[in-house]
Amino acid sequence: MTSQSSLVPLPINHEVAGGSGSSSDMADGGGWRPPRPCEAYRAEWELCCSAGHFLRHYYVHGERPACGQWRRDLASCREWEERRSAEAQRSLCESERARVRAAQKHGLVWTPRQSPPADWHLPLPQDKDS
Amino acid sequence: MKYSGCAVNKERHFSCEDCNGNVSGGFDASVSQIVLCQNNIRNQAHMSRVVTHELVHAFDHCRAHVDWFTNVRHLACSEVRAANLSGDCSLVNEIFRLHFGFKQHHQTCVRDRAILSILAVRNISKEVAQKAVDEVFESCFNDHEPFGRIPHNKTYARHAHRDFQNRDRYYANI
Repeated sequence: MTSQSSLVPLPINHEVAGGSGSSSDMADGGGWRPPRPCEAYRAEWELCCSAGHFLRHYYVHGERPACGQWRRDLASCREWEERRSAEAQRSLCESERARVRAAQKHGLVWTPRQSPPADWHLPLPQDKDS
Repeated sequence: MKYSGCAVNKERHFSCEDCNGNVSGGFDASVSQIVLCQNNIRNQAHMSRVVTHELVHAFDHCRAHVDWFTNVRHLACSEVRAANLSGDCSLVNEIFRLHFGFKQHHQTCVRDRAILSILAVRNISKEVAQKAVDEVFESCFNDHEPFGRIPHNKTYARHAHRDFQNRDRYYANI
């Protein structure tokens, strides 16, 4: 089982495009930075390696979890932080894009909405006790 | 929910009622309201699980055109997701139900409970419900929105929330 879990929630109507995004989310000066803080990669790796996660993953998926990719991502993140390695940037981007692709590979059962239901914020009908 | 355009107001979107049978709660899509069965919810842990379960339905109603009333596959998908993501099928809860299993048992529980939930609200045969769950299971079991993962406990929930807070940075840099 690849580390396809722990995907960052996808906003409604968001399309994943490599390298796109608002400049305010880039590092200072508009440059790239790791998708997650390095501390987040460390936390995910530690959670993945924990005995509790092993048991839960086996209970859910029937196999042991694969934690190697989190370790590699942590190493890449640190490499980029220390040396601004282009290879580390490429590796991190590819790893996260693979996670997104893995999450999106299953077809949707229903059609996504372009806007919330019209009645969500409307008052309850008069005949419904509130 | 708020990020998806469906901010939740307790007075508008929740209703505590007495319910027939042993149903713990439900989502009334016709009025976009969660019903909590005050006569059948046993304790705080049960309440938390029921609220989470119904909020998954509410989230699906908010983000997609779910045909709750005439498309059994749509209903099955939301029930699979709710059973999967709410804690309904935790090992402890299954043991309390005297359902003993470990390897991949979570998925067996999700299937079974989704079928039970469908049968509780639709006048269809078990075979029809089972077929619908089978058809949608792979897609819907692996749809972990809005968490990005199965939130087994508070630790996983904290990780999920941190990812949610980091979403802009994430999608700007991949």
